[in-house]
Amino acid sequence: MTKNATNIFTRLAALAVCLTLLTLTIGCGEDDVEPIEGFDATVLTSDYAHKIVLATYGELDAKADVLLTAVLNLKNDPTDANLTAAQDAWTATRIPWEQSEAFLFGPVDTLGIDPKLDSWPVNRVDLDAVLASSQPLTKETVDSLEETLKGFHTIEYLLFGVGSQKKASDLTDREIEYLTAVTESLKGDTAALYDAWSPDGGNFLGEFVNAGGSSQVYVSKRAAVQEIANGMITIADEVANGKISDPYNEEDPTLVESQFSFNSIADFQNNIRGIQNAYLGKYQETGMGLTEFVAEQDAELDTRLKGEIEAAIAAIGAIPPPFRDAISNARADVQAAIDAVRVVQTTLESGILPLIEAADIK
Amino acid sequence: MKAKTRIGALIGIAALLASCGDENSMDIEVPLAGGDTTVFDASSHAYSLPAPNLDKEGLELHLEGDAQFEAVFVTAPAEVNSGLGPLFNSASCVFCHPRDGRAPAPMQGGPLGSALIRLSLPDDMENGGAPTPVPGYGGQLNDRAIINSEPEATVAVHYRIVIVKTADGRSYELRVPEFVIQNAYTPLPPETLTSLRMPRPVFGLGLLEAVSEEYILSLADEQDADGDGISGKPNYVTDVATGRLALGRFGWKANQPSLRQQTAAAYHDDMGVTTSLFPRESSYGQLQSDDRMDDPEISDEILDAVTFYIQTLAVPARRNVNDPQVRRGERLFTEAQCSACHVPKLRTGVLADVPEVSNQTIYPYTDMLLHDMGPELADGRPDYAANGYEWRTPPLWGIGLSAVVNGHTNLLHDGRARSVEEAILWHGGEAEAAREMFKTMPHGDRAALVAFVLSL
Repeated sequence: MTKNATNIFTRLAALAVCLTLLTLTIGCGEDDVEPIEGFDATVLTSDYAHKIVLATYGELDAKADVLLTAVLNLKNDPTDANLTAAQDAWTATRIPWEQSEAFLFGPVDTLGIDPKLDSWPVNRVDLDAVLASSQPLTKETVDSLEETLKGFHTIEYLLFGVGSQKKASDLTDREIEYLTAVTESLKGDTAALYDAWSPDGGNFLGEFVNAGGSSQVYVSKRAAVQEIANGMITIADEVANGKISDPYNEEDPTLVESQFSFNSIADFQNNIRGIQNAYLGKYQETGMGLTEFVAEQDAELDTRLKGEIEAAIAAIGAIPPPFRDAISNARADVQAAIDAVRVVQTTLESGILPLIEAADIK
Repeated sequence: MKAKTRIGALIGIAALLASCGDENSMDIEVPLAGGDTTVFDASSHAYSLPAPNLDKEGLELHLEGDAQFEAVFVTAPAEVNSGLGPLFNSASCVFCHPRDGRAPAPMQGGPLGSALIRLSLPDDMENGGAPTPVPGYGGQLNDRAIINSEPEATVAVHYRIVIVKTADGRSYELRVPEFVIQNAYTPLPPETLTSLRMPRPVFGLGLLEAVSEEYILSLADEQDADGDGISGKPNYVTDVATGRLALGRFGWKANQPSLRQQTAAAYHDDMGVTTSLFPRESSYGQLQSDDRMDDPEISDEILDAVTFYIQTLAVPARRNVNDPQVRRGERLFTEAQCSACHVPKLRTGVLADVPEVSNQTIYPYTDMLLHDMGPELADGRPDYAANGYEWRTPPLWGIGLSAVVNGHTNLLHDGRARSVEEAILWHGGEAEAAREMFKTMPHGDRAALVAFVLSL
C-alpha cells in the first residue's frame, strides 16, 4: 500500500470511529468546537503558578504560623480562651489548604506532603499509645511517626476532641506537648511546600512557566493546561463522590471529613472556591484564568460554568450544620449539594477538557 | 486526596474528533498503546484514569476500588480502615504506587521509603523453587511497625558510583545501591538472600493479565533455538487459590500469577492487612504478632474492587509520534534488538468478567518473560524458575510520563537508574549486545533512541 493509501485508510477508520461516537455523546457535528488559532497559554500558565498556586501556599504557610503561635499560647496558658483561639486558627488554616486541593499535583504529591498534612483517619490507638508512653514529644519525634499521627486531623482531634466538646481543662500535659510538636511539624511541611514551588526554592513554578519549552515535566503547554483543569476536576469529583457521598450513602458520621471540628461544610465550600480561584485566575491578585481561554471560544459555556461554580458553593452552604447530622436529617439538602458539584464536574469534563484538547495551544 | 473521573473517556473522544479534520498528510497514525483503554493525557493524571470503555456499572466498581487503593490503614481496633500491621512497609496502596506510578528510589543515606527488601534462605528446588521464608522474618523485611510493636529492622541505603564511557568518550556516572540492615530485632541468618525492590506502576495490568498463556509461551525461546542470544523463559509460580503452579506474570521476577493474588499479597506482605487469600498475619509466629482474631481485615468485596481497579486503569497514548527524531529512534530501537524482549505489540485474549481489556491489540513493549540481565543487575536471589540473574521484561508503555506523574525518572528493579540512558547502560546478559550497540552509536542516535522510549 502506498503512503497515501494508508493515510486514506486510517482516516476512514478514524471517521468511522467518529461516526460511532456521534451516537454516544458528542460527535463531529454540531457540538464540535472550532479550535482557536494558536492560543498563547504563556500568561495563563504563568499566572496560575504565581497568582493561584504560590499565593495559596503562601497564605497556607502564613496561617500555619498563626496556628503555631496560638498553640504555643495555649501551652503557656491553657485557658478556654486560648483553646478557642487555637481552634479558630486551625479553622483559618484549613481555608487555604482546602482551596489548594484544586491543585493536588506536583511537590504536594511527589514530596509526600499531602499525606503528612491531611491524612485521615487519625490512628487513635497509636496516638493513645504514644501519649501513654514516656518518649519525649518533640517535633523530631512527630516527624518520625506515621502520617496518621500528624497533620491537620491529629491537631483537630487534640484541639476539638470527639463531638467538639474539648475544654482546656481536658488537655493533659502530654497532649499539649504532642499538640505543640505536631503543629511545629505541620508548619515545617507548609513551609517546605511553599519553598518547593517558589522560584527561590525548588521552583516547581518554573515547570508551568516553561511548559513545552525547557520544562522536563510538561512536554507541552497543552499538558500544563490539562493539568490545571484536571486538578479542578479531581477535587470536584472528590467532594461530590467521596467527601459528601460516602458518609451520605452509608449514613455514617465516622466517615465525615473534619468531624471533630464540625468544619466539614466549610471544607467542602473551600474546595469549590479553590476551583473558582483556578478558573477565574483570581486569588489575592487577579491574573489570567482558564475563563479567558474558554470565553474566547465559547462565551456561553464560560458564563454557564461560572454560574455552576457559584451554585455549587451556595448549595453546600445550604446544608444545615453540622454535616454529620445533615446526612441523616437533611438528606434532600445534601443530595442537592452533591448534584450541584456534579454539574460542575460534568461541565469541566465534557465542556472544558475537550476545548483544551481541540485548541491549538502554544 | 485525589480521586478518579471519567475524563479519560472524554479526552479520548476529543482526540479522535480532532483527528477527523486533520489535514496534515505527512503525519502517521500511531496505533493506540492500550487499545480501547487508551487515554490522551500528558498531565500528572496520565496513569490514573479509568479505562474509557468502562460502562456505568464498571466505572462505579473501578471508582470504589480507587477509593480503597487510597485508603490509609490504622491500628486496630478502629472505626475506619482498621487492621494495619502490626508489621508493615506501607499504610496504603498509594504510598508505594503514587498516582498509580513509580515511587522514588531511597535517598542517599536514607531509609527504604517506598522500596522494600525481599528475603529468603538458599534452597534446593523444592516447592517448584518457591523462596524459603527466613525464620522470624518471612519473605520480606518489614521496616515499620505500629506503636508498641518492633520493626524487624531499619535500613540505610547508600549509593556507590561507577563510571561508564560510551564509544565517543562521553562518561556516565551510574549508581549502585548498597544497603545495611541495622537494629534487627532478632539476628538475621547470615546466609539470608536479599533483593532491593522498587514498586511497579499499576496501570495497564489488566491488559497484560488478558494476554493468553499460549500467546506468551509462543514468544518464549528458552534454549535460544533461533540463536539470537536472547532466550525468554516463563516463570511458574504457586497460585494460592488452587495450590497449583501457574504462569507467573507480575512482579520483577514474574512471581505472581494474577492481579487478585498480587493485590492480596501486597495487602498482606506490605501492609499487614489480611484477606481470605492470606488470612494469617504476615507476623504470625513472630514476637510482634498480636494474634488478633479479627481476620480477614478486608472483605473479598474490597479485594475484588481493588483488583478490578488495577485491571481497568487506562494506558496513556504515545506523544510526539511524528517527531522525526522519535521516528528515527524507533528504527534504532528495532535495529539494536531492544524489541526482541521489549516486544512492541501483543494481542489480548479474554479475561473473565473484564471485557474492557479483552480482545485488544496493545503496545506494552514487553514479552512477559524472564531474561538473564547479567551479573551487574543480578540479585542472586532465585524466585521459582527465575534464577538470580533473571528478570521479567518490564513494559515500557507510559515510561516517558514518569517525570510529570511522579516527579522523577528512577528506573530498574532497585531504582538505581536515574534516566532511560542509565537504565539502558545497565542492561547486560542477553541484552549485552543491545547495550554495546547503544554505547557505540553516535550521540545523536543515542538521543534519538531515548527520545523514542520517552515517547512511549
